[in-house]
Amino acid sequence: MVDALVEVHRVLAPGGTLVDARPDSRVQAYAERRKPRGFQRFGVVKTSRLELANDRASDHVITRVVRDGLFERRRSGRFWHRVPFSDLAELRKYLREHLRFVHRAEWVVDAATRKRHSNDQFVIRRAVRYELLEALRSPRNNSPARPD
Amino acid sequence: MSRVAKDSVGGFGRHVPALSSALRPSPHDELREWGGPPLVRGKRVLDLGCGDGRLALGVAPLATRVEGIDPDPEAIAAAKRNARKAGVRNVRFAAGAAQHLPYPDAAFDLVILSWTL
Repeated sequence: MVDALVEVHRVLAPGGTLVDARPDSRVQAYAERRKPRGFQRFGVVKTSRLELANDRASDHVITRVVRDGLFERRRSGRFWHRVPFSDLAELRKYLREHLRFVHRAEWVVDAATRKRHSNDQFVIRRAVRYELLEALRSPRNNSPARPD
Repeated sequence: MSRVAKDSVGGFGRHVPALSSALRPSPHDELREWGGPPLVRGKRVLDLGCGDGRLALGVAPLATRVEGIDPDPEAIAAAKRNARKAGVRNVRFAAGAAQHLPYPDAAFDLVILSWTL
C-alpha cells in the first residue's frame, strides 16, 4: 500500500489534498430498529478480525508516509452512517454475506422482542472516519518511502 | 464530530442489494463531512478505487475534471454507464492499478481514497 501512496504523492500537486475515508472499526457498529421517532438499539455488530487487521495495516501505511515526509495531516473526523434494511431478515442476510462484520450480531434484546419486531425496518449504524492530508513538496528526510 | 449522515439510499422499506455502493454514504454526505464544496470546487480530482463511480460522479458538478480509476474492469464499465446515464461530461474512468497511475506528475489537486485503503 505504501507504493500506492507514493504514486498518489507523485500525481498530486504540491499542497494538494489526499482524502482517506473508510469505515471506523475502532468503534462498534449497532443494529437498530427504526421507530416512529428515533431508533431502538437491538444489538452490537463487531468488525471481523480480518478487517480489523486490514484497518490497522492501513493506519500503519498512513503513518509511514507522514513520517517519511510525503504528507502532513491536516484534519480528521468521524461521522455515523445508517445502512437501511427492510426487515430483520435482510439485516441478518447482510451480516452473513459480508466480510467486514462478524456474521452474527450480539443482541441486547431478548428473542421474543426480536421476533415481535422482525418485520420492522432496521439499520446498521456504523462509524466512518476520514482524514485530510496535504501533499508536501518533497520528503523532509533523505530516505524516501519505499514499498513494504 | 459525531453526526449521523442521512439514509444512504433514500429511505427504508426496500431491499438493498449486496455489495452495492448504495450501502455507503451519499457523495453529498461524505463531501459535507470532509469540508464541503470548497474542497472540490474548481479542482482536478482523482477518485482512486472509484468502483461504479458513486463518488466521482457525485463531485463532478463541482470539479474542473474528475478521473476515476479502479482495478475492476466490470466496475469501470458500470461507472461509464452511470456517467452516460447522468450526462456527466467532465469525468473519465479507466481500469488500472494504484501502484502505476497513468497520469503525469502533479496532475491533480485532490485525490480521494473513499473506502479504498
